Amino acid sequence: MLGSGLLVGCGREKIQVYRVPKPEAPPMEQAEMPADHPDATAASPQLKWQTPAGWTEVAPSEMRVASFKVAGKDGQQADVSVIPLTGTAGGELSNVNRWRNQVGQPPVSEDEMRKLAQPVEVAGQPATLYEQNNESTRILAVLQQRGDLAWFFKMTGDNQLVAQAKPAFVAFLKSVQFSASAPAPEMAAAPNTPQWNAPADWTEAPAGQFLAAKFEIAGGQAAVNISSSSGEGGGVAPNINRWRRQLGLPALEGAALTKTMTTLKTASGQATLAEMSGADARSGQPTSLVGVIVLLPGQAWFYKLMGNEQIVAAQKAAFTKFVSEVKY
Amino acid sequence: MFERVFKIFSSLKLTVILLALGLVLVFWGTMAQVHLGLFKAQNDFFRSFFIYWSPEWSTWRIPIFPGGYLIGWLLLLNLFTAHFRYYQPGQKKYGIVMIHLGVMLLLLGQLLTDTFSSESILHLRTGETKNYSESSRQYELAIVDTTDPQTDTVVAIPASRLVAGRDLTNPAMPFAVRVERYYSNSSLVEKPAEGYEPIATTAGFGSGIWWRGLPHETDTDKRDMPSGIMDLRGPQGSLGAYLVSAYITRPQTLVYNGHQYQLSLRPQRYYMPFNIQLLEFKHDKYPGTNIPKNFSSRIRLTRPATGEDREVLIYMNNPLRYTGNTYYQASFDPDDKGTVLQVVHNPSWLTPYFSCVLVGIGLIVQFVTHLVWFATKRKTS
Repeated sequence: MLGSGLLVGCGREKIQVYRVPKPEAPPMEQAEMPADHPDATAASPQLKWQTPAGWTEVAPSEMRVASFKVAGKDGQQADVSVIPLTGTAGGELSNVNRWRNQVGQPPVSEDEMRKLAQPVEVAGQPATLYEQNNESTRILAVLQQRGDLAWFFKMTGDNQLVAQAKPAFVAFLKSVQFSASAPAPEMAAAPNTPQWNAPADWTEAPAGQFLAAKFEIAGGQAAVNISSSSGEGGGVAPNINRWRRQLGLPALEGAALTKTMTTLKTASGQATLAEMSGADARSGQPTSLVGVIVLLPGQAWFYKLMGNEQIVAAQKAAFTKFVSEVKY
Repeated sequence: MFERVFKIFSSLKLTVILLALGLVLVFWGTMAQVHLGLFKAQNDFFRSFFIYWSPEWSTWRIPIFPGGYLIGWLLLLNLFTAHFRYYQPGQKKYGIVMIHLGVMLLLLGQLLTDTFSSESILHLRTGETKNYSESSRQYELAIVDTTDPQTDTVVAIPASRLVAGRDLTNPAMPFAVRVERYYSNSSLVEKPAEGYEPIATTAGFGSGIWWRGLPHETDTDKRDMPSGIMDLRGPQGSLGAYLVSAYITRPQTLVYNGHQYQLSLRPQRYYMPFNIQLLEFKHDKYPGTNIPKNFSSRIRLTRPATGEDREVLIYMNNPLRYTGNTYYQASFDPDDKGTVLQVVHNPSWLTPYFSCVLVGIGLIVQFVTHLVWFATKRKTS
């Protein structure tokens, strides 16, 4: 017994020190690698481009896939970066307004943003360039959505220099070619989705990053959000109070809170159901919410039906049936 | 006292009991793979001394059944002691001794395989060259000094050493690594979310990210994605607390004392003294169908130290055996432009062959001696 303990213990726990030749650059013809491939996380995104004259390539830092310095007259400088982010990175409008904010410009509405859009081409696909400046600084920025990634191409620097370098930046965008897939950083995938049968009048909607699924009812007047969390997801009481806050209701404790909960029988055991009505904290509209918390070993599932009071009342039975039949 | 213990361990009853327990264990362990997955079931049932059960209301681990190691060791001991108890010198028993030795060698060989063998994966895209394979489950914290233009100096800390609160030092590292936090499986998100907490780092990539720990993956086709916060500490104090994570695909860089370092949490690497380049992956199908006929990888093997440079074709049931490793065609990329070779390093791979030969010869010797003895006896009577 001791022998096997010793045998098992040796060699695997030690800190190892060794010298290796520098790794070779991976071949550029790399095509898309499947995201679930064991090796996918080891691949860096590959981007090919033609560096415009006068640009100096600098080593990309943590989030950058490509990085350049542009020097002009009298010490003028500009910085060019290419950064991929997972998801939609907040959408176009919020990014445009963020860039505007960086040069002290007031935010614009979606319609106004459309007027500012300048068509360009990135890697053979149309994209939109937004240009904003003040007296000293100018930002040229392009956001292009490619699959699950939002690619940011941005040139920031001295007002005059960036204005002069704009044709070179546009040419650079055009020269870009994407090859491999996995970007840095690769973010967490959603937990395994259980199996469910949604009622026919529910429409599946894009779930966003933090939901396992989302369904819209009656043209979006009510919605079912499904999310999951490891462990107990913070516990039943804090989550019910979180829902209460979304309807502008005060948090409850002890017996007062327990009173709002009922038990729902589901295929995987008992779940906690809470119902509440109030006014949506964001829109101020009268809103009802039916929430169910299913605690499984090591994983908590949250189901929330929220929206117009009448629709929620009409959908409650379908919602509880839906939740109780989910297979994990 | 000694005699009683000796009698218990050398008894045939014990052999029967152990074999019966082994039977149950194999059946139970096989069924358990449905829920636990292959990897966990193997560890819990076969690579353990006991099978444990934890009541729902506690974290106790109560042993309820002997595990593979215990049964294996007891069988070995039983065989060994039985040999001394029942062995009587004489020609007639040579076969039995050989059979016993063969079975003992088989048991020992399995233990050695279990202890010293390693399996890893070599994934190559067409044209790509690598001189290392990667573990499919184990991770390591790699601190790589990239200052030298020719070679990198790697300090690889196995993930099993990354325990929160621990200080890790090594003469090859100019700083200590304090493990602030470590999740052996984790999830990272870019916005606040339920159950996630903000990551507190002071350097590198990590600010503006939320994380949470997850239970271990038990599915065979999934693996844990660990993350942690490592505080690098020089003599003057902290050089920065960095987030390291299997989700971060690019190493983070830092400069200290004029040296450039890369920091990453990556699948454990097994370096080879040679390079393998994938020249071509072929996925042949039967004409007019999608039924696979053959998978093969044409690779180029180069070994600078010996000047070796040759092409090898690896296909199903025709692995490359080289420097103690075996490279099997295991999988491929869906676009057919990449191959996955399974690399098995098993120094004791020959022991089952030896033990089978030994048992075989033992059986022949035993039968032949008996036959001769029987024939002679018949003749004389």
